[in-house]
Amino acid sequence: MEVKLDKQYPLDVDAARAWALLTDLKATANCMPGAEITEQLSETSFKGGVKVKVGPAVAQFGGTVDVIEAVAAERKMVLRGKGADKGGSSASMDLTAIITADPANPAHCVLNGQAAVIVNGKFAQFGGRMMVQVSDMLLAQFVENFRQTALTLPAAEGSPAAATAATASASGGEAAAPATAPKAPVVAREINGLAIFWALVKSWFGGLLGKKA
Amino acid sequence: MNAPVQTAEARELALAGMGASRLRKEDARFIQGKGNYVDDIKMPGMLHMDIVRSPIAHGRIVKINKEAALAIPGVHAVLTADDLKPLKLHWMPTLAGDVAAVLADEKVHFQMQEVAIVIADDRYIAADAVEAVEIEYEELPVVLDPYAALQPGAPVIREDLAGKTEGAHGKRDHHNHIFTWDAGDKSAADAAFDNAEITVSQHMHYPRVHPCPLETCGCVASFDPIKGDLTTFITSQAPHVVRTVVSMLSGIPESKVRIVSPDIGGGFGNKVGIYPGYVCAIVASIVLGRPVKWVEDRIENISSTAFARDYHMDGELAATADGKITGLRVNVVADHGAFDACADPTKFPAGMFHIVSGSYDIPAAHASVKGVYTNKAPGGVAYRCSFRVTEAVYLIERMVDVLAQKLGMDKAEIRAKNFVKKEQFPYTSAFGFEYDSGDYQTALDKVLEAVDYKGLRAEQAAKRADPNSPTLMGIGLVTFTEVVGAGPSKMCDILGVGMFDSCEIRIHPTGSAIARMGTITQGQGHQTTYAQIIATELGIPSEVIQVEEGDTSTAPYGLGTYGSRSTPVAGAAIALAARKIHAKARKIAAHMLEVNENDLDWEVDRFKVKGDDSKFKTMADVAWQAYHQPPDGLEPGLEAVHYYDPPNFTFPFGIYLCVVDIDRATGETKIRRFYALDDCGTRINPMIIDGQIHGGLTEGFAVAMGQQMPFDAQGNLLGNTLMDYFLPTFVETPHWETDHTVTPSPHHPLGAKGVAESPHVGSIPTFTSAVVDAFSHLGVTHLDMPHNAFRTWKALREHGAAL
Repeated sequence: MEVKLDKQYPLDVDAARAWALLTDLKATANCMPGAEITEQLSETSFKGGVKVKVGPAVAQFGGTVDVIEAVAAERKMVLRGKGADKGGSSASMDLTAIITADPANPAHCVLNGQAAVIVNGKFAQFGGRMMVQVSDMLLAQFVENFRQTALTLPAAEGSPAAATAATASASGGEAAAPATAPKAPVVAREINGLAIFWALVKSWFGGLLGKKA
Repeated sequence: MNAPVQTAEARELALAGMGASRLRKEDARFIQGKGNYVDDIKMPGMLHMDIVRSPIAHGRIVKINKEAALAIPGVHAVLTADDLKPLKLHWMPTLAGDVAAVLADEKVHFQMQEVAIVIADDRYIAADAVEAVEIEYEELPVVLDPYAALQPGAPVIREDLAGKTEGAHGKRDHHNHIFTWDAGDKSAADAAFDNAEITVSQHMHYPRVHPCPLETCGCVASFDPIKGDLTTFITSQAPHVVRTVVSMLSGIPESKVRIVSPDIGGGFGNKVGIYPGYVCAIVASIVLGRPVKWVEDRIENISSTAFARDYHMDGELAATADGKITGLRVNVVADHGAFDACADPTKFPAGMFHIVSGSYDIPAAHASVKGVYTNKAPGGVAYRCSFRVTEAVYLIERMVDVLAQKLGMDKAEIRAKNFVKKEQFPYTSAFGFEYDSGDYQTALDKVLEAVDYKGLRAEQAAKRADPNSPTLMGIGLVTFTEVVGAGPSKMCDILGVGMFDSCEIRIHPTGSAIARMGTITQGQGHQTTYAQIIATELGIPSEVIQVEEGDTSTAPYGLGTYGSRSTPVAGAAIALAARKIHAKARKIAAHMLEVNENDLDWEVDRFKVKGDDSKFKTMADVAWQAYHQPPDGLEPGLEAVHYYDPPNFTFPFGIYLCVVDIDRATGETKIRRFYALDDCGTRINPMIIDGQIHGGLTEGFAVAMGQQMPFDAQGNLLGNTLMDYFLPTFVETPHWETDHTVTPSPHHPLGAKGVAESPHVGSIPTFTSAVVDAFSHLGVTHLDMPHNAFRTWKALREHGAAL
């Protein structure tokens, strides 16, 4: 079962910090609900796992993530992940992530993700109908975690964020808070099955209403 | 001993013999939940088996780690192909002359293939342990399309066959090629096309479907290490064949193998084959010395046990300008999955597909079927049909419609024009079948009149003239002939055993009886109908006749129940065994009445002295005498065995008409009317026939309107639960109207032809015919099944007919 995703997420983080986080694969992986990098195998190769829980079904994918391409000039990262679950599912993903600056607002950027996810086995058979919705949910949580983590990073010297922070500091505003006094990010460490279920129900009803309208 | 005098009619009625709508004997236990299915069987010390299956469709097994599974308390064993190798049981022969992996040997060939088994104290522990068996795979490219599988660079599915250019059915010309089978006369067919005034051709796919019986497959195997004998309770449509195969595989003498098919919750071809699960449970029982139960779940049933159909067909008809068919050509690419495990008579790798000339007098015909390996589960069984007859009937009925459309002729008219005429029977088809009897025109006229065909066509014309009509109306018509009752052993065998069947009848001293057959009922109602045959033949009330089947220790050897063979083959064996008893009974009665045998007349339940109604002996009187004091020169007792080897197949036929209304906005198809006329020859129990027809039509409706097994590009089967796989219930099932004519088979002792499968075979093309008919004014000649709302809606959009 193959699912193709093409998503754009506008972030209130400047492009430089977003790119800095993206290139730190371990930190980025931590933004993925249920995922973690357990071992660095080489400069570009990592070992890790993802735990996905949907209702009573738990899949623990173990596998590798390889950086195929990282182009700083384009803020472009190409990753290939492959994993299998002991219970009879396997998955692979080709992901291209590009961070583009928001020309209207230098403190903002857009995270562009294109992914082709292939899932085999039980997850494909039973979860086929839900794959797109579950992926959407996962990515939404990932992006929120990514955003929060990126905001905790120190802004680069002379960067728009630093400038904004400086201005904000000067004016005594609170906007500088993320840069100067980072809050611990509220990272969801595991996918919340109930939340996914609720999102599915909402999107299903949404679909029904949409059709009627 | 003689009962009070009753009229012959009253006594005949009291027998509840042939022709009576006798209530089913089986139902009392089923409706009370007192059936005895495989999963009801519990034995002391019984262990439970579950199967570890491949998550991927094609790959190499890199590593199997059993440790975590074995560490679970209550787990007794985890077995893989490596454990079966020393016993040479990791591969097994299939009914089609191929081999199939019992447990995947180094490589998996389809998703859900059996890779390892777990034996545990209970079903739950076994299921948990299955999750704990760690298997590492190296994925290989997957090939699912049989045409792609035949390309030169296609992935090699069966590495075990490397270098084998000869298969069980002749030459193999590609690594994924199984066989090419030809029937008919190619040059004659080609000549007919060269000289044709008009030709039509149509490509169609008969999708892969699954019989999906309510009860899944399973067994309880119990090997007694002290006595060295093996008893296996199994969901099998052919227990005697299973015994032979088990003996051959295990080396245990056939006399020490007992196979019992208890109550079976539907088979429909799904329970003909021998599955890895059975073999593994038997091996596990032998290894552990304890009974082992395996019952698959629904997902396993749909995913891995035998599918049906999956024929990609190209049909061509040659005809004169006025619609007389002069030639037929058919080319089929048959997707057999990863192992060729079709259940066909040995000599017929495409079964009876060569019935494809149908009810029509076609002078020249040729058919070619090419079997191909793909990364899908093996199977190709006769799902409520005789071997591949459903596919054949679908093709010819679709082609006749396509030809009628091209010529602008009416569907009924073109059929009447091409029918094999009543006076042509027995009729030998271009493929060599000798059709026993038929009267197609009478049956067609009856149906057309019953439904007011002309009125329907007028209504359709009016609807087509109205651009605002919310529905498209379609009329489907099919006039099919089936070939059932396999079969004459000079032509048909399974693993070398001729396809006869058998019956043993014993009349007890007090006039009741027990009869045992080589067949096994799975819902057909044998316990009811078989007794009726004996009742009529021997004048014993069917109520006191016990029918037993399915236990190889007690029943005579038979080839089982599938392909509508019970009545045509075992039914004949019953009649002929009864007639042997009847002949002996006549001798005894003559002795008792002190007359010559020739001075006796048989009347319902008694032998009467000619010309004197007061002097008679009933069958019950005779039975007592047979055990009490038989005449000199006759053995005591009153029993007989008969093995019936049919001289020919039987050829039941039917005329089906269906009216559909397709919602132009939603694509939803409403079956407004379905009229089914069946001619199965002599009718044994009209109520059971009606039930069989209702069941067959409902399964036909399921196939035509919704059943499919969709695979994604990676070979994941996406329709293996009843959430996805369409199993119609009372809610979806339309109303059925049934009718009949009676054209007895001249070669069958009772004139009976078999009926259970006709409604399935005949109805499926009728639904397609009706749906396509609704689109025919838009130039559509064919739409592939299933005709579900989404696909039909897409067709509506494509042809500009959507609202």
